[in-house]
Amino acid sequence: MPGVGPDAEQTHPDESVAREAGKTGSGGKRLSPSKLYMRRFARNKPALGGLILFVLLVLFSLFGPYLTHWDYMEADFTALSVPPGVDGHLLGTNGAGNDVYAQLVHGLGRSLIIAVTVSLLTTAIAGLFGTTAAYFGGKIERAMLGFVHFLLILPSFLIIALVGTRFRGEWQVLVLVLTLFGWMLTARVIWSLATSLREREYVLAARFMGVSAMRTIVRHLVPNIGSLLIVTFTLGVASTVQAETALSFIGFGVKQPDVSLGSMLADGQNTLSTAPWLFYLPAALVVLLTVAMALIGDGLRDALDPTSQSGGRA
Amino acid sequence: MPGQPDLDSLRSPDLRAEYAYAHIMKDRLTVLRYIARKIVGWFLMIAIATNLTYFLANAFLKPASNYTALRPPRTPAQINRSLALYNLNPNKPITDRWWHWISQIVTHFDWGQSPTGGSVNDQVAYRIFVSGQLVLGSTILSIVIGVGLGVYTASRQYKASDRVLQGFSVLSFNTPSAVASLGVVFAAIALNQALGSTLLPVAGAQSPDVSGFWSVFGSRATHAILPTISLTFISYAGYHLLQRSLLLDHINSDYVRTARAKGLTRKQAIYRHGLRTSIIPVATQVAFAMPALFTGAVITETVFAWHGMGEYFTKTISTNDVHGVVAVAAFGALMTAIGAILADLAVVALDPRIRVS
Repeated sequence: MPGVGPDAEQTHPDESVAREAGKTGSGGKRLSPSKLYMRRFARNKPALGGLILFVLLVLFSLFGPYLTHWDYMEADFTALSVPPGVDGHLLGTNGAGNDVYAQLVHGLGRSLIIAVTVSLLTTAIAGLFGTTAAYFGGKIERAMLGFVHFLLILPSFLIIALVGTRFRGEWQVLVLVLTLFGWMLTARVIWSLATSLREREYVLAARFMGVSAMRTIVRHLVPNIGSLLIVTFTLGVASTVQAETALSFIGFGVKQPDVSLGSMLADGQNTLSTAPWLFYLPAALVVLLTVAMALIGDGLRDALDPTSQSGGRA
Repeated sequence: MPGQPDLDSLRSPDLRAEYAYAHIMKDRLTVLRYIARKIVGWFLMIAIATNLTYFLANAFLKPASNYTALRPPRTPAQINRSLALYNLNPNKPITDRWWHWISQIVTHFDWGQSPTGGSVNDQVAYRIFVSGQLVLGSTILSIVIGVGLGVYTASRQYKASDRVLQGFSVLSFNTPSAVASLGVVFAAIALNQALGSTLLPVAGAQSPDVSGFWSVFGSRATHAILPTISLTFISYAGYHLLQRSLLLDHINSDYVRTARAKGLTRKQAIYRHGLRTSIIPVATQVAFAMPALFTGAVITETVFAWHGMGEYFTKTISTNDVHGVVAVAAFGALMTAIGAILADLAVVALDPRIRVS
C-alpha cells in the first residue's frame, strides 16, 4: 500500500489544512500519523462500535470467571438442563449439569486465544513470504508462488480435520494446523502488492548500498505494507473463529473436557426445542465476535488508506 | 486484427459470409483449445491433491481401531489379516498399497473399501447427487441474489436501503455456518409449532413413507428448502459485497458516462456497460468460493441429517475410513475444478479480450 507510513503526510492533500487547524487550536502541535489514523477510525461509527464490542468481549473472557463460583468442568448433578436463572445458575446448565455461564466465559477465551494466535502467525508468515518472493523475483519468486499455488489446491479443511482428530482435542495442535494451511491466500495478496514496492527508490537504494536481503525485507518492505498486514490480521481473526467453530462443531476441533464456542454449539444442536439457551447464547457470542472483528477490519482499512475518502477529511 | 483481408477482394457477399464463418470457427477453436488446456491443468491438480490425501490419510488414520473394540477381542495379526482384504494392512509397505489403490482406480474406477468392507463407490454414488443438489442450488441462488443486491445497492450508494442491506450482508457474511444452520432450524421449529403442523421438515432429504414420482419430488423439494436457505444465507453476501464495490469502481467511469450521453437511461447504462465489465471478477470468485461452500455443506448436512458427501466427510474421518476420505477429497477438488471451468467459460463469454488473445 504505497503512501502509508512516514511519507503519507506529504502525499495527503488535506494534511496541511489539518496542521493549520491544529496550530490555531492547541499550541502548534503537528498531527502525528497515529493520531490521524485514530481520528479517521473514530469517525467511522460502525468500526468504533466493533472495537468497543471486541474490548467488552475480551474483558468478559478475562474477568468473567471471577463473577461465578462455578467451574466450567464441574458438573452440578442436582441441576441438569435448568433454564437461565434457576438454582443459582446465571445462564442455566447443559444436559451434563455444567454451568453455561462458566462454559461461555471459558469457551469465548479459548476461541479468542486460538483465533488471535493463528491470525498473528499467519499474518507474520504471509507477510514475510510474500515480501521475500517479491524482493528476489525471477526463479525464486516463481518457485515460491508455485509452492503457494500447490498448497492452495490441497483440501485444507479435510487435512486439518485429519490431523485434528489424531491429536484429540489439543488446542495447540489446532493452532498449528490452522496456521499451516491458512497463510497462502494472504501471502499471494501481499506478494502482488509488494511487487510494486520492490521498484521503489528506497528499496533500490538499500539494495545498491549493499544492505542484506533479509534486512531490506524486514526494515523496508514489511513496514510499508504494514497497514495491509494490520487489516489482514483483524479479518484473519474473524475467519479463524469461523473455521474453529466449524471444526469443533463437527467434532474435529476442541473436544471434551475443553470447551470452545463451536463445541458448545454442537452441544446445543440436539436440544434446540427443549433447551434453546444452549444454542442461542454461544451463537450470539460467536456472531458478535466475528462481526466486531469484521467491522474493525473495515474501519482500519479506511483509516489507514490515504486515498480513501470514507474516513472523512484528514 | 492481423490478416484482415483487403475489403475489395470481399466484394461478393458469398465470400464475405465465408470469411465471417471461418472467423467464427477460428474463434470457437481458440476457445475450445483454451478450455481444453484448463481442463488438463485441473485434472493434474485433482490427481496431485487426491494422491497426497491418500498418503496423509494413511499417516493420520488408524483403520485397525475399528477392530480393537470388537468382542471377542482379536489379535493384531487377525486384525491385519482382515485389513489386508481391503488393502489397508499397515504392515504392507505404503508404496505397494498405493500402487494397488491407484491401479484399481485407473483400471476399474474402483475407489476401494472401508475398513469394515463397505464399497466406497456405492456410498459416493448416491451421496454425490444429494450434495450436488444442495451445493448447486445454493450456488445459483446466492449468485443471483448476491449480484442482484450488489447492483441494486451500488446504484443507491449511501442511501438507507444500501446501508441496511449492506449491514445485513456483513452480518450474514460473518455468521459461522453452524450458527446459520441451527438458526434456520430454530426458526423453522418455532414456525412449525406456531402453525401446529410440520410445514417445513428439519431433518432428512425426503420423507421415508412417500412413493410415486410426484410425491417423492414434492417431498424432496420441501426437505431441500431449509438447507438451501442456510447455505445461501452464508454465501450470498460475498457476491453482494464484491459486486457492489466493483460496480462502484465502474459506475463513474468514462464509458458509462458516454453511454448515458448517447441517450441510454441510467439503468440501461449500468446494466449493459457497468455491470458487464464488473461482473468478470465476480465470475472468477465462484471458483474460489467452492471450497468454503463445501465446508458449509459439511455443517449443513450434519445439522439437517442429509446423507451427502459432507456427512460422509465427518463419518469417514471418525471411522478411520482411509479410502472414503480420499474419495471425499477427490470430490471436493472436482467441485472446485468444475466451478473454476464454469467461471472460465463465463469469463470467455463476457470478456472479448480473452477471445482475441
